[in-house]
Order: sequence, then structure tokens, then C-alpha cells
Amino acid sequence: MIPDSVIPASSGPASAGKRAPSLLASSLFARLVAVLAVVLAAGAGLLLVAAWASARHAADEAYDRLLVGAALQIAETIASDGREITVDPPFSAFETLGLSPRDRIFYKVVDPADRLLTGDADLAVPVDRARLAAGPVLLDAEHRGQAVRAVVAGRYVPDATKAGFAAVVVAQTREARRALARGLTAEASLMVLAMSALALGAVAVAVRAALRPLGAIEGVLAARGPNDLQPLGLAAPREIHLLVASIDHFMGRLSGHVAVMKRFIADAAHQIRTPLTALAAQLDLLSSETDEGRRRDQIARLRERTAELGHLTNQLLNHAMVIHRARSASFDPVDVAGLARRTLIDAVQAAGSREIDIGYEGPDGALTIPGDAIALREALANLIHNALKHGAPGRLTVRLGRERDRVVLAVEDDGPGIPAGDWARVREPFQAAAGGGIGSGLGLSIAAEVAAAHGGELRFESHSERGFCVVLSLPDGAPA
Amino acid sequence: MIRRLGRLAAPLLFALAGALPGPAAAETETRFPASEHERTTLTIRAAADLDAMAPLIRDYQLLYPDVTVVYHEYVTADLFGEVQRACAEGRRSGGYAADVVISSSVDHLIKLANDGCARAHRSIETGRQPDWAAWRDEVFGFTTEPAVIAYRPDLVPREDLPRSRVELVDLLRRKPDAYAGRIGSYDITLSGVGYLFAVYDARAAATYGRLVEAFGRASLRVRCCTADVIADLEAGRIAIGYNLLGSYVYGAMRRGARLGIVVPRDYTLVLSRAAMVPVTARAVGDAFAFLDYLLSARGQRVSREEAFFFDRTGPLPPGVDGPPSLAAAGLFRPITVGPVLLAVQDRAKRARFLAEWRQSIGPQGQTGGPAP
Repeated sequence: MIPDSVIPASSGPASAGKRAPSLLASSLFARLVAVLAVVLAAGAGLLLVAAWASARHAADEAYDRLLVGAALQIAETIASDGREITVDPPFSAFETLGLSPRDRIFYKVVDPADRLLTGDADLAVPVDRARLAAGPVLLDAEHRGQAVRAVVAGRYVPDATKAGFAAVVVAQTREARRALARGLTAEASLMVLAMSALALGAVAVAVRAALRPLGAIEGVLAARGPNDLQPLGLAAPREIHLLVASIDHFMGRLSGHVAVMKRFIADAAHQIRTPLTALAAQLDLLSSETDEGRRRDQIARLRERTAELGHLTNQLLNHAMVIHRARSASFDPVDVAGLARRTLIDAVQAAGSREIDIGYEGPDGALTIPGDAIALREALANLIHNALKHGAPGRLTVRLGRERDRVVLAVEDDGPGIPAGDWARVREPFQAAAGGGIGSGLGLSIAAEVAAAHGGELRFESHSERGFCVVLSLPDGAPA
Repeated sequence: MIRRLGRLAAPLLFALAGALPGPAAAETETRFPASEHERTTLTIRAAADLDAMAPLIRDYQLLYPDVTVVYHEYVTADLFGEVQRACAEGRRSGGYAADVVISSSVDHLIKLANDGCARAHRSIETGRQPDWAAWRDEVFGFTTEPAVIAYRPDLVPREDLPRSRVELVDLLRRKPDAYAGRIGSYDITLSGVGYLFAVYDARAAATYGRLVEAFGRASLRVRCCTADVIADLEAGRIAIGYNLLGSYVYGAMRRGARLGIVVPRDYTLVLSRAAMVPVTARAVGDAFAFLDYLLSARGQRVSREEAFFFDRTGPLPPGVDGPPSLAAAGLFRPITVGPVLLAVQDRAKRARFLAEWRQSIGPQGQTGGPAP
């Protein structure tokens, strides 16, 4: 039923290259047409059955009239003189039956006592005299192995030895009825089939037309260069407008992602190149230095520089990882309280021998929000690290709390903080507050990225009595 | 050349059974041996004069020289009984009567076909049959035989000659003495064809009652068979024969009998003698070939020229008084080969019809004259 041409010509190398599991699975057109063809075929089948039933009914009705007419004509000739009941089947009755020219005729006439007056003794059609008063009774029967249509008509004989209905039974084979029903059904079938074929053709044309915009999208995409991430800019019908919008949205995101990555790579290259150049220069100095004391100082500086470079590289990778996760990782329930405590303990070990008052203020139990545990941990670790490195001469507090529908994670220290004028700038990568050394430009940026990826924000607060405070404000995921 | 051989072979035919006429002779058997090596034997059981059928059978054997034909001649009622019995037995145990059954009592064959005793056959020849001359592709009328008035030209003065049924009734009223006991016809209680013609007379026109009444007054002499009525005519025992099978009378005329034929001008009853192949037939293919031959142009020509002498559309044969042709406008009353004949077969109808006929014809008619 499905024509060969349903493989869209434009599907080209993709579908030709890898073997499709089946035509139905590979072609939208074939699937649609197949479903509609099945529906049409089922409909046509039902119609044909209905047509056959109604044709059979019509044929029966037409020939039943002849049958009843003949039986009544015979019944009319039943006469009684009080002693004997006679019957004289008229020619006209047989001429009436002869109007269905090929059918065999069987008949009998019986008196009220069921004695045969004339006709075929072996015609075994039941005579129900109780119903004869209401008129002739039609029924289907079998005679000598053939299906016959039979009628029983009665004539009341009041003066017989046993008063009651004399009965005329006339039966006729079904050839003419079958032929008429067949003819009517054939005509109806032709119409139904023609209509179905027409509908299927129309469906094929309509489906092809409806799928044409998909082909257009495909054409536009195929014609694109690999770096062209512009929106499609296609006018699409309502039903596939969403698809075009999704493609455009995806293109937009991809394009933004690529732009971020480009900028990051450029910045990272710049950030790594500068300390590498400095390292190379110091190595030169070291190789020409002869004084043992100065040489030791230079080696110590070199070690310090190398550690900073390692830290920077770590942060760059972390930053790349955070950006990547922000765009790809799925959110799971994360216990922020536990995470904050563990991160703080890790940070305390990193603080080493410095005298500093480190504290945690927040719930002892779990506080769960949807999020990416690894990214959140990284963000918090960076904030703590920043506070230890740049502020916090004597006190560092991590506070966890709720603000309406948000979970607020704050890192507070008693250091000088960041001037309010720099607050917007320091969220960007490599834009550390003035006076920062290498590797100081990414911590806040990573935290800001993570906050943004969780639908929250990073903000700064400066309290004269408590000190400087960096706040991660995250949605708690409860439905608003 | 071949034709002459066929004619020479004719005297060699031999009858196995007695050739006694009348109902006493239940059947006669005649063999038509194959002129070539015999491939098969075709058994025909027929209620038709051998004289009429022989030319057709011999011509058929020219086409199929390897077929031996065995021809059994019956009176109609015996034939009906025999075929019916064979059909009933055939359903159980391979009963067999004949390959082809031919009868002038078409109603018998219709009854047999209605009871499922006939085999259907469709061919180009059967397709050419008019609707009234075939039923269910099982029973085929292959002859055209009018019911005629036969008379002795020397015993019936020209002015007395009845050309219609009304004229016959008038004649019997005008000259009751001259024709009392000198009108002959079938004993319809014995003759299938006679009964068929009488029933159709009653159907065809309102004059039937007067006619039978007139016959009763004129002491109708009734016979079982056409041949007996013709014999009565030839012997001068009767002057007029009513409703006789035109083909047989014309055959007798051709053989030299001094007879005249009138095809009535008020209406013409036409019998189409019918053939069928029983379900129990053995040489089915040859039986169908024989049917096709009977219906073919060649068979019809032989039938017209040598067997039954009349046809539907052509002019009447020479020497026959009547309308220009049997199918002349308004006169043609064919006895249709179809289910209407089941009415003729009806027991109650037959009993009533025969009772009325007996009552009208009277006791003279019952006894009839002595057989020759």
C-alpha cells in the first residue's frame, strides 16, 4: 500500500548512509500515510460489510413480496364444501415466483389437520398456526440441503371436521436474492473503494504538503557553514513554530557558550602567559646568580611563583568546570548545611598556623535545596579561600539561613573588604580587586557563575560593626 | 458421401424390444452403432418418436463418429418415473438411467430439474436460447411443435374446415350428426402432451369450457398417443383430430398419409420438446455435446427438414394451412420452459382439471374406440 516514493528525496546521505531499521520508523510520511491507510481500510471494510448487509436486506425484501404474493394467490383457491377441502394452485402464483428466473420452487398445502392437500410432502417448514391469523409468516429454512426462503400463509376453514387454518407453504431457493445482493454490494463496493482511494491520495498530498516546512528547515541547516550559529529566521506554520523556536534558542545558547569559551580561553592564555614569562625571567636570573644567599632567596621566590601558577591553573580548570557544569549538570537534592560544614573544616586545615577565629552559624540538621553539589562546594571553597587570603585578620564566619523562599549562605570576615565601587566589576573573571596578585581574579567569578547557574545571585554586604560579607543567595526549590 | 453411408446404415438398425404401439409397450431400445472405433456410448431415454429423432442422431454421429447412441423410447409417464427413481437412487448409490433425457412432457423435466435431478450446462449454443425455451441452464427446449387440427380432406368438406377453435365449436353445433363420434383427440388422463395442451388451452382462452362441452356432445374419441389418433384418421374412423402434435402429423403426411393440417388462427400453442442431462449421467461430456448439437444451427436445420418440420420464425412447411409463421403477431402461445410448468404438475390441480374434463367428455370419451 505504501508507495516506494515515500522516502523524502531530501533526506539524502543521512538516511542512505546508515541503514534505517524500517521504512515506517524512518519516514514520517510513511508513518502518517500508513496510519491513515489503515484507518481508511478499516472504514472501507466496515462500509462494505454494512453495504452487504443492507443489500441482502433489500434483496430479501424485494423477493419476499413475490413470495408472499404467490402464497396468497394459492391460499385464495383453498375452498371447502363442508366435507372436502380443495385447492387449485393458479398459474399466476407460479408466474409470480418465476419472476426470479433461476430459483427452484417448493410448496405444499396442508389442511387444518396437517394432511397434505398438494405439493411436496417432504417440505419440512414448520407451520405455526397461531401466527397465521396476523398474516403470512416469512422465515429462512433449508430444503434438500439448499438454503431457502419460505413463507407460510393461512386460510381459515371454519366448516372442516377440524376447524382452523389450512396453510400454504411456499419456499424458494436464494439464487436471485444472492445475485441481486451481490450486484448491489458490488456497486456499493466500487463507490466505497473509489472514495477510499481518493481519500488516500488526498491524504498523501496533504501530508506531503504539511511536511514541506521540515524540508525547508533541513535545507537551511544543511546549507549553513559550521560556524554560522545565527537564528534560522524561517516563517513556520503554528504546529512547527515551536521546533523552529527551539532550534533558534539552542543556536542562541550555543552561540553564547562558544563566545564565553572564546573569551575565557583568551583570558586564560593571557593570565598564564604573564607568570610564565616572569618565571622564565627569574630562571634566567637564577642561572646567572653566583651569591649563595641571593640564590636561595630567588629559589624561594620561584617556588612561591610556581605555587601561585599551580593555584591559578587549578582555578582556571575549576572555572571551566563550573561553567561547563552550570550548562550541563542536572540538579539533585543537596544538603547545603552539611556541605558548608565540611567545606569550612577543609578550609580550616588549609589556613594552617594562622591565629584566626573560624565559626559556623546555621542549622545543625540538613537544609536541602536542588543543586549541583560539586559546583556549590567549589563556590563556597573559593569564597572562604578569598576571605582567608585577602581579609580576615582574626575572624571568619560562615552563616547559613533562610530568607523567605531563599537559602542564604554568607561568608563574613573582619577584613577591609572590597570597595563598593568594585562590586560589579569583581564578579567578572580576571578582574580582581585592585592590588591582587595572580590567581586572585577567579574566585568571586566562579561563585557568581555557580549562583547564576542555580538561579540565585552573589552579592556583597559591608557592615561597619561586623565586617565584610559575601552572600550566596539561592532559591530553595520549593514551588512559589 | 458420408451422408449416403448414414442412410445406408439406417436399415441395419435393430430393435431389441417389441415394437408394439401404445402404453403396453413400456420401452423400445434402438442402437445406432458408432461408424468408427467406439469410444463411448451415449444413452438417450426419450418420449419422442424414433422416426423424428433418428435423423438428428445420425447427423450427430457424423460429427461424433466414435459415439454409439442407444435410444430408448418411452411414453412420458414411464420415462418420468424411471428418471425420478434413478435420481433418488443416484443420491445414495449411483443410480443411472440415461445420459440425455428428452420428453414432450416438458413439465416432467421441469419437475425433475426443480428437484435437483438435472445438470447445468452453459455454452455458446445454450446462450442463444430465448428465455422461454430454457430454464436454469438445465432444461432446454429444442423443438418447435404447434398443436394443430388434423383432418381427412376427403371426409371434411372444404366449407366445414375449422380454422380456429371457435369455428370448430360452431361446426359441431351446426352439424352435430355429421361429426358425432368423428372427432378425435388425446386422452389427457393418459397423454402427457394432451394434458399439457389442454391445460394451456384452458389458460390461453375463455373458449375452453365451450370447446370441451362441444366435444362431450360430439362424443370425442380419445387415444393415449398421437400415433393412435393419426391411425384413426388414416383408417377413417375419425374425420378431425384436435390439438395433435403438428410435427408427428406432418411426418405422417410426408410418409403419404392422406391428411390435412390446420394451424389455428386464433392462437397457436407451441410446445418446445425439452432435453436435459440428469445428474446421474455417465457420458456427461458427450451428453452436453449432444445438447449443443440439438440447439445448434445445424441441428435446428436437420430438425426443420427431417425431424419436426416446424421452426419458430420461418414460414410454415408446405401444405399446412395457417398463419404465415408460428411466431406471427399475437398468436404465438409458447409453453414456456420454466417454473410455471410446476403448476401443471400440481397434483390437486391435475385431479381437479381431469375430473372436470371427464365430466364434460362423458363416458363415451372414457372408453374410446377399440385400438387398431
